[in-house]
Formats: sequence, structure tokens, C-alpha cells
Amino acid sequence: MSMANTSSPRSRNRPVRDWSGRIGRTALIGLPLAVLVIWTVTPILWAVLASLKEPLEIYESTSLLPENPTLDAYRKVLAMDGFGRWLFNSALVTVVATAVPLTISILAAYGFARYAFRFRHVLLLLYLVPRIIPRVSLIVPLNSLMSDLGLINTYWVLFITYSASAIPLATWILVGFFASIPREIEDAATIDAANMYNRLRRVMIPIAWPGVVTAGVLCVREAWNEFAFVLALVNETTMRTLPYQLYVLKDAMGVQDYAVYNAFTILTILPLLLVYLLLERRVVDSIVSGSVK
Amino acid sequence: MDAPFVALQDLRKSFGATEVLHGIDLDIPRHAFVVLVGPSGCGKSTLLRMIAGLEKVKHGRIVIDGDVVNRVHAKHRGIAMVFQNYALYPHMTVRENLAFSLEMLKTETTEMERRINTAADILQLDMLMDRLPGQLSGGQRQRVAMGRALVREPKLFLFDEPLSNLDAKLRVEMRAEIRALHQRLESTTIYVTHDQVEAMTMSDIVVVMNAGRIEQAGPPLELYDHPASEFVAAFMGSPAMNLLRGRVVRMNGAPAVEVGDGLVLPLGPTAPVREGQEVVYGLRPEHLSIAPEPDAGLAGDVALVEPAGWETHLHADVHGRRFRAISTDRLDVVPGDRVALRPEPSRVHLFDGETGARL
Repeated sequence: MSMANTSSPRSRNRPVRDWSGRIGRTALIGLPLAVLVIWTVTPILWAVLASLKEPLEIYESTSLLPENPTLDAYRKVLAMDGFGRWLFNSALVTVVATAVPLTISILAAYGFARYAFRFRHVLLLLYLVPRIIPRVSLIVPLNSLMSDLGLINTYWVLFITYSASAIPLATWILVGFFASIPREIEDAATIDAANMYNRLRRVMIPIAWPGVVTAGVLCVREAWNEFAFVLALVNETTMRTLPYQLYVLKDAMGVQDYAVYNAFTILTILPLLLVYLLLERRVVDSIVSGSVK
Repeated sequence: MDAPFVALQDLRKSFGATEVLHGIDLDIPRHAFVVLVGPSGCGKSTLLRMIAGLEKVKHGRIVIDGDVVNRVHAKHRGIAMVFQNYALYPHMTVRENLAFSLEMLKTETTEMERRINTAADILQLDMLMDRLPGQLSGGQRQRVAMGRALVREPKLFLFDEPLSNLDAKLRVEMRAEIRALHQRLESTTIYVTHDQVEAMTMSDIVVVMNAGRIEQAGPPLELYDHPASEFVAAFMGSPAMNLLRGRVVRMNGAPAVEVGDGLVLPLGPTAPVREGQEVVYGLRPEHLSIAPEPDAGLAGDVALVEPAGWETHLHADVHGRRFRAISTDRLDVVPGDRVALRPEPSRVHLFDGETGARL
């Protein structure tokens, strides 16, 4: 007999409401999730459907679904003079601005996680300072600096600025992952004659792989979507990236062809979406639990 | 007399301002199974890590097989270590775990295969070679950890509390396996544990440590029968020795120890004490016999009866003091019954009341 049924008239007349029950829990978790999903998916869905419409259909019809779905908008985008180049620029800058930060961040994070040195905590906090400064506020001084260095309108300016922007976040993520690896595993590797390079390459990085992938995905996302730096540091058409070209596309079109505009948007986000889907399958859950008690 | 295989000479270690090892001197003979035992925080694992080369040595010397290894990297010391938490590489299969050190040492493939197969055969790992550590039981993981040490064919095996998280039954099995392995390989082993039963059953030499110092080192029965200090007496043996503080008096012309509340405990006639001396009176539970008649010894009340199978552990209160006794006879007593405990004066251990040193 439960305590709830013992004495009070209230408890005898109706059941105690249990907000932690199944329905309550489902509502508590499910409702916000549903809102989030709808909030996130709706614009993308709208853009996909709009991209399948004929040029003036958006003005003429309020229907969400295209009357005569067509891929004409996508053909126009792919046939644009320079689309291949913009896609290449985005891809190249993203690859470099992922590989370089990851390399530097892995080494930095390993040092922060494993070695006790003076001002370690202060330095780690200082790593966050670039993330606190609004990117927009850096445009003018960066433009001036890169102009003096003769790097405007070069790949190098994007490599440097994108990489510098990604390193702090990647390092912070990786410090946590490296620190969570039990020291005994590394001690075992030391006794097994592994030098620092082999300890990092053969033991630490594979174990921290989920962290490396997470940091890599964030670097990819930041580099692919980056707009402020490329707007400030590049002005030649051939050096544009997809987000930059998307921005100027609206002004470049006379009468707005929203189907083309949305098709360009979808083609811009599609590679990133594929990266997410691919890496989500490949991210391995931590298998450290098998290595220690 | 042969030179010791491992010699620790005036080893000290500090972490910041805290000194954790105070001048450790120890000689370990070749082929010996030496157990470092002591309570948590006594410095035994730190000492083991210094021998392994995982902690720097700034004061003192470590000599292994005639060579001073203070500045020698762990991989060149001829040692292999089995860790408390296994420390297996979770992303590598059992075979890859065993092969890792040999790859790092650029061992020839045929030699690598030979050593791995030998280790797998000895430790019965053949069916597990393609599994990941996460797919193994605790005992299997421990055998893989031992296999990883075995393939190195080291001069010196180091074990850091390898059985501490196994269940009791598995612990007993693995104890025997480790000891059998040691005998088969004729190796030298240093084994760290906080479990004095492991120390007693596995070792050739037990080293009892306390607060960064060696309390006593010697064969297990030597420490059991002749503990050099109150600490060793209390630490070795299960159930623990009965220890009571008192003052030496004379009773019926013979020395005895008065422990308070009118309780006087007998000593042997040749006990090395003087009247009035403050001492600690020690008696192992198996040297307290139990008489059913309350007037045949120290009369007391049964507080707890613990049947442990072939022996029974009895806890009794005598004049307000708790005594532990062991009997191999089945006892027909329950808590609250009156019993008499008869100490064997010839088996009493006496320790100085101030220093704890054996008298």
C-alpha cells in the first residue's frame, strides 16, 4: 500500500497528478524537440520546394507545392559562368582550413591536456579570446593588415584567417577529449617504447577520434559557411566562395528569380549536409570503456 | 652472496612540498617475487612507477641488473608493467595490443609472431585474438594485460594492483596464474597490492610500507610470526591481531600487562619488559582459545559470531575490550552468551608503547 493512499481525503478522491509520468515526460521532451525540428526543417523544405518551381510561379501562386516541378533552376545554377570555380574555392579553403587547424589543435590540445606548465590555465583561457571578439569588428584591421602584406584576393588570406578562427574552438574541444583518456594508457605506451609521436598517432588520436571528428566537422562548417572574412578580403569574382556569391547573386539578378536563388542556396548547403550525414555514421562511440575497469 | 637484481638506494620522492617517499633502501634478489604492501597513500605505487621509469628520480639510485637506471628511459630498462586498470589500447584487437610494443621496438615479424603465439598459448588467449578489449571480461582483459607484458620478455615484471577490481573468486584464480607464470618464467617480479592476503600467499618477500617508509621486509611468515612494529602486526593477518595498550605489572610473581578496567593479560616469564613500562600487547586470534566455561579464562560476552566455513571467528567483549578469536571447532554460541578466552602467553607480541617497535 503506497504512502499516497493512506489518509488525506484528496488522495482518496482523485489520483495524485504525476508530471513525471510517461505522458508528461513525452510532452516535456517531445514538444520542444518538435518545435526545434519544425523550426529548422521548414525553411529548408520551403527553399527546396521553391527551387523546383517555374521562374514566376512564386509571384503568381501562394501554393507551397510547385504546380509543375522542374529542375530548370538547378540547370541554370550549374551552368553559371564561374559556379565550378566558386565551388572549387569553397572546397579548397574548407579542406585547408580544416586540415591546418586540426593539426595545430591536436598538438596544442595534447600539450594542454598532458603537460603541467606555468600559466597553462591562463593560456587556455586566452585561447577563447578570439572567439569572444565579434568577427565583424576584425574586418577593417584585417583588411588593412592583409593589404599591407599583399595578400588580398589570394587563397593565402583565406587559409590564414579561416584557420586562425577555427584553432581556438578545435583546441578547446580536443583538450577535453585528450584529458579524458586515462594516463595509464599513455604510461603503457611509454613502457611499450612508443615515443611522443607514436603515442599521439597510434594511441591518443585513435582513442580521441570522436573528438577529432567533432572538431573537424566544426572546422568544416565554419569554413564552408564563412562570409565576413571573404567579403572583406576578396573582391575578384574568381576568388569568391559560394556563400559570397550567394550574397551577390541577389543583386546580380534583375528580376528576382527565386527559384534560381533557392537552387543556389540548396547547392551551397548540400555538400555540408552530406559531410554531416557521412561523418555521423562514421563517428565511433567511445571505446575507452573496454580499455580500463 | 649474489648481488641484488634490483637495488633501491636512499630513494626519496616529493610532489611539490609533499615528500611521499623517505629514503627507501631495498635489495631484491634475482628471481624473487616481491610484494609491496601497505595502506592507500603509503607510496607503494609511486615507488613502482619510479622503478618503471614513469616518475623521475631526483634523489637516490635505482639499480637493475647492475646498471644504474635513474636516467634510463622506461623502454630501455628491461621491464614490463601490468597496470591496475589494465590500460589496454581500446581501439586495438588483442593481437594488436600484444604486438604494439614489438612493433615499436622494430622486432622482426617471425620473432614477433613467435612471442605473441607463446604468450597466447600460456595465457589461453588463442580464441580472443581478434576481439577488442571492450568485448572481453575482466579476467580476460587482465590476461591480455599480462600477455602484453610477457611478449616483451622482460628482466623484471611490475604489477600495480592488477587484481583489485576482480571478484573474489576470479582474484583467487588469477593469483595462482600470476604466481605460476612467475615460476614458469623464472622471472623477477615486483607486485604492489593493498591486500595482505595477496602479499602472504604470493610472495617470496613481503615489503610492508607505511607513510613513505619501509616498516619491514622479509619472508611472509617471518613478518607474520615476528612483526617488527605495531603497524606490521596490525596490518598482516586476517582477522587482525588483537592489540591493546597497557602497562606492565606483576601478577602472581610473573609479568603481565594491565590494560585497564581491571583486565590483566598474562605474559611469558621471559618477556623483555620492566615493571611500569608502557607497552602494546598483541595476540593473534588463533592464539586465543575459547573455553565454554566462563571461569576457565578471561570471561566475556559474545558480541558476534562469524562462521567462515572451516573456522569460526568470534568477537567477544571482555572488561569492555573487544577481542577477536578463531576456532576450528564449530562453536555453539550466540551473541550474548558468556565465554572464556585463554591467551597463550608464549605467543604474545609486545611493542613499545611510544615507538611501536617490537620489544
